Amino acid sequence: MTTASPRRAAILGGNRIPFARQFGPYANASNQDMFTAALEGLVARYGLAGERLGEVVGGAVIKHARDFNLTREAVLGSSLAPETTAYDVQQACGTGLENAILVSNKIKLGQIESGIAGGVDTASDAPIMVTEKLRRKLLKINRQKTTVDMAKSALAIRPGDIGIETPANTEPRTGLSMGEHMAITAKKWGITREAQDELAALSHQNLAKAYDNGFFDDLMTSYLGLAKDQNLRADSTVEKLAKLKPVFGKGEGATMTAGNSTPLTDGASAVLLGSEEWAAEHNLTVQAYLVDGEVAAVDYVHGDEGLLMAPAYAVPRLLARQGLSLQDFDYYEIHEAFASTVLSTMKAWEDEEFCTQRLGLEKPLGSIDRSKLNVNGSSLAAGHPFAATGGRIVASLAKMLHEKGPGSRGLISICAAGGQGVVAILEGA
Amino acid sequence: MTQKETFSEAPSLAKVFVRAALAGKKSGSTLPASELVLTDHKVDRQHLMDYQRLCGFGVDDVLPHTYPHILGFPLQAELMARSSFPLPLAGLVHTENTITVRRTLNADDVLDIAVHAEDLREHPKGRLVDLVTEATVDGESVWSGRSTYIARGKGNPDAERGAEAPPVPQGIAAAQWSLPGDLGRQYAAVSGDVNPIHMHPLTAKAMGFPKAIAHGMWTSARTLAALGRSVNGPSTSNVWFKKPVLLPSKVDFVVDRSQALTVAGLRATRKPETEHLVLTLETAH
Amino acid sequence: MAFNYGQFVSGGIGKQLATTLGLPRPTKLRRHKVGGSLIPGEVLVAGHGEAPVAERVRHLLSDAGVKVATSPSTSVAGVVLDLTAVETPADLETLRGVVGPALKTLAPTGRVIVIGRPPESATSVAQAAARRAVEGIVRSIGKEMRGGGTANTVLVAEGADAGVDATVRFLLSGRSAYVSAQVFHVAKPVGDVAAPADWDKPLAGKVAVVTGAARGIGAAIADTLARDGATIIAVDMPQAGGPLAEVANRLGGTALQLDVTAEDAGAKIVEHAQARHGGFDIVVHNAGITRDKLLANTEADRWDSVLQVNLLSILRMNEALIPAINDGGHIVNVSSIAGIAGNRGQTNYAASKAGVIGMTQSLAADKAVLKKGITVNAVAPGFIETEMTAKVPFATREVGRLMNSLSQGGQPVDVAETIGFFAWDANRAVTGNTVRVCGQMLMGA
Repeated sequence: MTTASPRRAAILGGNRIPFARQFGPYANASNQDMFTAALEGLVARYGLAGERLGEVVGGAVIKHARDFNLTREAVLGSSLAPETTAYDVQQACGTGLENAILVSNKIKLGQIESGIAGGVDTASDAPIMVTEKLRRKLLKINRQKTTVDMAKSALAIRPGDIGIETPANTEPRTGLSMGEHMAITAKKWGITREAQDELAALSHQNLAKAYDNGFFDDLMTSYLGLAKDQNLRADSTVEKLAKLKPVFGKGEGATMTAGNSTPLTDGASAVLLGSEEWAAEHNLTVQAYLVDGEVAAVDYVHGDEGLLMAPAYAVPRLLARQGLSLQDFDYYEIHEAFASTVLSTMKAWEDEEFCTQRLGLEKPLGSIDRSKLNVNGSSLAAGHPFAATGGRIVASLAKMLHEKGPGSRGLISICAAGGQGVVAILEGA
Repeated sequence: MTQKETFSEAPSLAKVFVRAALAGKKSGSTLPASELVLTDHKVDRQHLMDYQRLCGFGVDDVLPHTYPHILGFPLQAELMARSSFPLPLAGLVHTENTITVRRTLNADDVLDIAVHAEDLREHPKGRLVDLVTEATVDGESVWSGRSTYIARGKGNPDAERGAEAPPVPQGIAAAQWSLPGDLGRQYAAVSGDVNPIHMHPLTAKAMGFPKAIAHGMWTSARTLAALGRSVNGPSTSNVWFKKPVLLPSKVDFVVDRSQALTVAGLRATRKPETEHLVLTLETAH
Repeated sequence: MAFNYGQFVSGGIGKQLATTLGLPRPTKLRRHKVGGSLIPGEVLVAGHGEAPVAERVRHLLSDAGVKVATSPSTSVAGVVLDLTAVETPADLETLRGVVGPALKTLAPTGRVIVIGRPPESATSVAQAAARRAVEGIVRSIGKEMRGGGTANTVLVAEGADAGVDATVRFLLSGRSAYVSAQVFHVAKPVGDVAAPADWDKPLAGKVAVVTGAARGIGAAIADTLARDGATIIAVDMPQAGGPLAEVANRLGGTALQLDVTAEDAGAKIVEHAQARHGGFDIVVHNAGITRDKLLANTEADRWDSVLQVNLLSILRMNEALIPAINDGGHIVNVSSIAGIAGNRGQTNYAASKAGVIGMTQSLAADKAVLKKGITVNAVAPGFIETEMTAKVPFATREVGRLMNSLSQGGQPVDVAETIGFFAWDANRAVTGNTVRVCGQMLMGA
């Protein structure tokens, strides 16, 4: 059933800072610094200095305790009116897209007229945690009222308790890293090394081409001396990628390398959304509409499904709600967490058994036209600062659809830790 | 004529302070005619970031209002430590500071920083001198600073006192900052200003202070940072340092934006009548 | 920083030395301040014969709240002399009789403005001689003036007297601090001359495109135009995105990242201006680069890149900008003294900047441009304390600072103020002019 929405939520533009490799130029920039920079570029591009927006929704996957109000702090450090409200969301790598859906929903409902959705992540300036044992003992010391009690509690600390931990890319319930999870899925779907390398090389080539065409001139603002995604290798080829050693999976069948997996990166992105009336009042061009979004989760803990396969479930539900088929799109943006993620997802949609058994469909969703996939590059080339990826994709896709013309359609699919997947449909204006 | 001396890197302040401590008694009534110039200074982004973070500025590509001052400070100290400089470096107290930013400076601007001393004059409580710092980018004068120091001593009661500081804004604090005990060491690590009065209670006591005191230019930078991004664009600030901030401590930030000229101040949270600094800020727009 | 003579002789020992040795000591120039008076003092207005322009100037001054003086005194800060009616060189005696005594007591940062008619339109040989003489006199006065004063000539075409007000205002004000010994040509206006409601906001409601706005003179231009009321579209390379955003946000304008040499740069500016601001009124072509080398050693790409950025890009962008700019708009190009006087090691740069002057003259007379009532003018900065001039070797640079009648380098804001003046709607009678902002530099005089 399609519910007629009271009004449409328009995507008016976006901005991001170039993504930097871990410990690169942004090594010491905090999430707040980077998100502020992304906001400042957006504010400058759309002349929003001093403007009170409906809200700014941001967030980061890896956050310091001090950043409990990260987005609000970034707003206060920006040129936006300090009266602009803000909040943080965390839905792993789906954060940025989820935020765009949240803002668009509020716009559709008439609760707000405008908003910014975005996200930021740093793999460099990560918080350091003490071991769980030490943390509990330290908290106990802190609770004591007298010095003697404090000293007693302090004596309970054993040398073995001391150690630090940084947030790892590991699923708490399985103890497996995301790459190890993905290796299982890739093996299950028979994704070859060659296919993965091909996808990775194309991602780099497409991103390089997009830069050459000036595609990012109005999507990006230089930061700390970096003007292009640092991870980009314009001369990347399948042959070069083939030389890399596998890093995930074991033995003979291991196919996943550093070249066909996204590297750890730092960066931030932001997307401006608004009602059509607000856009007109502010002389802003509607680039696209955020039509609808869907989130799915899978049970990866008990081995029923791959960790990053949730989008494969979210997309058919979204298509059904919108009365569309998988082939009704001009562009597909499937986030390249790993090359094998994209390939496994597409293979699943083509697979009769998966589509009928798992998705409960009558027939497979079918193939997608690969020439419409990630045409301006994706995460393998650009990098993937977790919460920033959604904003990157939404802004780029909105621009592509605007260039394509009214009525054009784009599909976004982003997998996330915890076995979740966030997907959305954009329509060109 | 002015003697121009160029430096390709800033003199080490630790050495300068040691030299100053060992220097004999100073006297005289003329200033050295030297102009010390740090040439082709490329901004170290790590250093910039550390400074931005410590002083509360946003971490971005724009140089904070006060940043060129710390690039020029080693030259100031070098000049003041010299035997040709009539006042003792160790006894100088920074009383006022004026900065004009002519254009927004960016991290990729290559700066020349020139420092000279001028206007040695009498004051009711001693003698005053101005250390003038000029920053240029490829010859374009982009930033100037004037730091006024007093050497307390036999003053001339009839001498001019200079411009009166405006009153510290009254009313409730806009913010309250806890300044940690090691703030002086943190700022010393960034600015190079290892003057013992800032480093540790013991070294400060040796210099006649009850505790370590915060660097004046940190308190000024922190206050300016609290006034928002516009301070880094074309603007002029005047700061008057009143009572030193003993570390650790809590200070209240007070601001009055109702007039064209923004006035801000810092006062002790527990004893509001203790005023640490007051500053005025004029921005181009 | 290099040894700064101006700074040296202004303070401390330098001051004493300069006084003893009789070296020129630069005066702090009077620059425009929002809310300030047009000129801090009275203005002596006189004329030869009928002096129709003098009458206009008296009205203008009383409207601006400036007292008109009839005789020299220390409270006189400016002299405006109307010589439009001179018939023979003998009539120039009026100038000697009025300006001579006035100079003795003229207040610091004073102004001398002599208004004449173009020699080309003289009806007799004697009249042409007298008219041409004015420029020579004023240039000499500029060199004789002390205390940061300037002297300029305004040549008003027959029947174009009504258009003189804006120029006189500009020249009396602090906006023209570093403009001296220039000849302003006032012709019949290309559109309606409209005085602003508030002379502190002469660009209120206007939208201005400034290229190369992320730094240096470009940022100063954006600042100045915004101060005068314009909404700024700040244009610069994507690589300068961070600083560009800072400028745009500080001024409440918009940032547009593009390479001016791109084929579609003009179209992109138009698209941005129309979509965001409903059009644009002012274009300042400021983006420029230098790639200095002696001509003998200049390779093709060094040659080409300078011409591409500094000249060809403007020609290309104008093809899109001129049809789109609002009627009555203003285009201002940034030339350079190097384009007038030439400079060793700068053949490519001089070519581009001289080309800008030719382009300015030709475009101002273009039918389509005239039909839309657009003015096209250029500024040629002299020794301005900027990155460009710093590429000049040390000795030349120091001499550059001194080799002008004001004994100091100009500031980026001085260039920006003249650009702002060219963008006034009150100023539709000045077009096709190239004005040097050089403090009467000796080079290329």
